[in-house]
Formats: sequence, C-alpha cells, structure tokens
Amino acid sequence: MPLTALRTVSKPQNGVGAFILQCKRLDFHYCDWAGSSRGMNSFLKGTLPAFAKANPQIEITVSPRPTKHPVIRGHYINGREKAICVRKMDPNQILQKAELLRDASGEKLRREVRRPVKSLNESVRGIWSPFHAPIEEKRWKI
Amino acid sequence: MKRARIERWGSQLLQSRPQGTRPQCLYQQPQHPQPHNHRPQWHWQAVRAQSTTSTPLSSPSRRPPPASHAPRIPRESLPSPPLSAARSSAKLSALHARLSLPSRLPLETLARALIDPSADPNPDLNNASLALLGQDLLGYYTAEHLLAHYPRLPQTVLYAAQYAYVGGKTLAAVTREWGVEAAAEPGGEVDPGLLQFKRVKPGTDISGAAAGETIGPDGVNRSQWRLGMGMRNVSGDEFGDINASGLDAAAGVTLEDASKTFVRALVGAVYLHCGQLSTKRFYASHFLSRQLDLSTLFAFRTPTRDLSRLCAREGFEAPVARLLSETGRLSRHPVFVVGVYSGPDKLGEGAGASLDEARTRAAAAALKSWYLYSPEEVTVPSEAEGKGDQGKRWVPCMVDCGEVIA
Repeated sequence: MPLTALRTVSKPQNGVGAFILQCKRLDFHYCDWAGSSRGMNSFLKGTLPAFAKANPQIEITVSPRPTKHPVIRGHYINGREKAICVRKMDPNQILQKAELLRDASGEKLRREVRRPVKSLNESVRGIWSPFHAPIEEKRWKI
Repeated sequence: MKRARIERWGSQLLQSRPQGTRPQCLYQQPQHPQPHNHRPQWHWQAVRAQSTTSTPLSSPSRRPPPASHAPRIPRESLPSPPLSAARSSAKLSALHARLSLPSRLPLETLARALIDPSADPNPDLNNASLALLGQDLLGYYTAEHLLAHYPRLPQTVLYAAQYAYVGGKTLAAVTREWGVEAAAEPGGEVDPGLLQFKRVKPGTDISGAAAGETIGPDGVNRSQWRLGMGMRNVSGDEFGDINASGLDAAAGVTLEDASKTFVRALVGAVYLHCGQLSTKRFYASHFLSRQLDLSTLFAFRTPTRDLSRLCAREGFEAPVARLLSETGRLSRHPVFVVGVYSGPDKLGEGAGASLDEARTRAAAAALKSWYLYSPEEVTVPSEAEGKGDQGKRWVPCMVDCGEVIA
C-alpha cells in the first residue's frame, strides 16, 4: 500500500452550523423562612415562568434549601458548574444573575491578554517565509 | 431520481404499539440468546405502553385485560422508561429545544432514540431500527458530499474522511457536545432524557471490538489477516471496517457505542418524522459544519514514486526536483526548499532539513494538490431527489479514473 490514511475526529465549531447553548441546567435554591430569600421567592413566583419559557433549552429545577442563602447554580456542557449566591437581591438582580449564568460558556474566567489569536482555517495570505521573501528583506541583521 | 417513501416507512416503524401483527423490525441484534417474543415479560411491556393507543390486539388469545383492571406494573420492573414518561421529562424537552429539532419530531421518539438495545432488547421500544436507518443516511450524505466535492480522493482517504465526519468517535463527541448525559443504569424509573444503556463490566476485554475485530459474515476471524482494499470495499462498512462487535449486546456496551447508536437513531427519527429536507439541514448543521482538514489525512510511503507514476499516467513530463533555496548547509540546522517540476510547471514545493526530505515533501505536496482537486459547481445526488420542482436539476458529477497505484 503506497498510500495509507490517518484516522482523526473532525473538530466541533459551535455556531458555525448549529449553535448549542452551553448552559444545560439551572438549579434555583430558596428558603421559605429566611429573609435573604425574600427576593428569590418573589422571583420564583413572578419572573421564573417567563424566563423558563424564553429559554426552553435549559432544564430548570427549583428546590428548597432550608435555613441557607438562596443560590442559583448553572451546569454546563463541559462538565463544570457555576454557583451564584443571590441573598438579599431583588427579582430584577436575580434575573440578571440568571441571564449571566445562561450566557456563560462554563469555562473558567481568565484574562485574555497576550494570547495569540488561533484559527483552524488556513491563512489566505500564507505564512511569511524567509526563503521566498524578496532579496532586500532577506538580508537579516544579527 | 426516485425518492424513498418515508411516510410508508414511518407508519411501519413509528407505531407506538404492536397491533395485530407486530411491526417487523428492520434490524435485530444477531447475538440475542432468545427471540424477543419468547420472553413473557416483554409481552407485558407491550401491554403497559399500549395504554397510549386504542388499537386492540387482534388475536384474542393474547389479548390483555382492560387497562383499568390490569395489575399496575411498577416502573422499577421495566427495562426502560415508558413512553408516557416522555412528556413529563424536563431533560428531554430541554434536549429537544437545545438541538433545535423540528416540532414535528415528538418527544416520545426522542426518548426512544435514547434507549439502547442493551437496555431494552424489545425492538419495538429500543432504537436499533432507527439507528440502522440513521447510519445509512449519515453514510450516504457524507459519501456523496466527499465524492462530489473531492472526486479524486483515494479510497483509503475517503474511508478516513468518512470516519472523521460520522465515525464512532465523532458521534460520541457529538453526543457529549449536545449535553446528553448517560444514566448510571437503565430502568423504567430513570428519567427518559438520559441515555439508557447497560454498561460493559469493568475488566471486560473490549480491545477486539474497539479495534474492529474482523469477523466476516461467514464467521471466520480475520483479525490476523491483512485486509486489502478490495475486501474492504466489498464487505466493509462505510469506513472500510469489517467488524462484527465481539461483545454480546446483552452483556453491555461502552458509552461510545451507545452514544453512536443514539446519534444515528436521532438522524433516522428526524428523517422519518420530518422528511429529507429537514434531515439534510440537521446533517449540515451538526456534522458537515465540523472542521476537517483533508490534507492531514494522507500518509504517503513513497510519494516520489507515486508522483512519477501519476505524471506517466497523465502524460506529463517526468517530474524533476530542483533546489529553490537553501540556508545553513554546513550548520546543524540546514533548511532546503525544493520544488518539483514537470517541464516548466511547478507541481509542488516543500522545505526540509535535508535535500531528500525536502524533495519528498515537495512530491507529497504535489500529490495532495492533485488528489484534493475540487470542482467549483457541484450537485450532489440527494439535491436532485424529489418530484418536479422540489429537486434541483441533476448535473452529473466528475468521476475520476482512480488513484495512482505505484
């Protein structure tokens, strides 16, 4: 066999074809007794049904967590989870936090400084090569 | 081109419950110790799920008692979640919305696509038949895309490219990226939004099955044989593998196998419920949109010899390698740039640390540019399917005379 082939796996490009929202589950925890959950309780009664309807791709669970602060926990496709404590927040602030969790990718937050831009696509212009540069560019100074 | 009658297939495959005559499954696991309908409890499963339809069984001897008097079967005793649980599963509807599946695809079918034959051996309730259809569709769409867009692709590379787009590893990765979770153990009480399959026991040797244990249809183990391309073309699958998994499905499957079956079954279900256009759209957005650089799949052994055979076959002048530029010939890291010429035409160019390496790379580059030729306007066969103005006008594709055999 003069020619053999290498088996690989094609790489995903989320959003190039289909877009898969990375947040797959949101857990809402509340407490009936504690005052820090007052905003959460009214959020669960008033805002959450509309939020759930607007985001059908997220599984939403609501469960009590007695004598603890209210928490929203997001589970992501990459296996990580993010939790935000929403104690003493009003329903609007809680909605903002829920949207933050919905839009997050699940990756750790890190600074995107001085990191080279990477692309899977080949550059149209090609890579600069010293062997193909014009003569005057070739004269390197050491 | 004649189009498959999906509505007839649909009525056959999608019956939620068996009627007087059980619907014939297109595909049954060959390794089952007993036929399905010889086990009494599966008869009861059929009765359980029959509450969703009003079609009675025709044979009076097997007629179940009316649903109100039927003894209630605990869900824990069922091998897989009942269809009635699909509507109340948050996971399942979230998955449906996440994949932007057409609304014509019901949640019950999505739930059925998640049930592996290892979890529920009943072919009316598991996804084996859907997976068979989906496997053929995935293979067909990938093959027509590759063959129409890259008509000169060698057969081995074509197989590898098919594997990269819709092979087992890719489908398992797709399942992960879709956010499908697997149930720890299948059962009737489990959420139907989880992938239901029986896991293979730790310590089981799956190397033979994973590496494509080559047991042909005649039952002869060919794992020690060198498989030629002719053999792979005739009796191989869409990846050129001749494999029948050595593992018994009842003994459990790996997560990769279960994920593979699920994705195939989902494609088959989309085809049956929503038709060809939706399936092609689903395929294009989830599989064809993945990135694959075909030029990385080639592994040449003797590129210079192949190139001179190619030039001889095509009537070009014999290829000549010429040094284009060099640096540091006497240093410990020299670089040579060599071009391969056929007469005045430069066929390819490569850089290497020795003259020979650079020449080999240049010949490989020339061969790749030949093999990866792509016509500009392409009509794939499935676009021309359909009656009247549904399909595009068929424009024949380019067919190459074949790869270079040195």
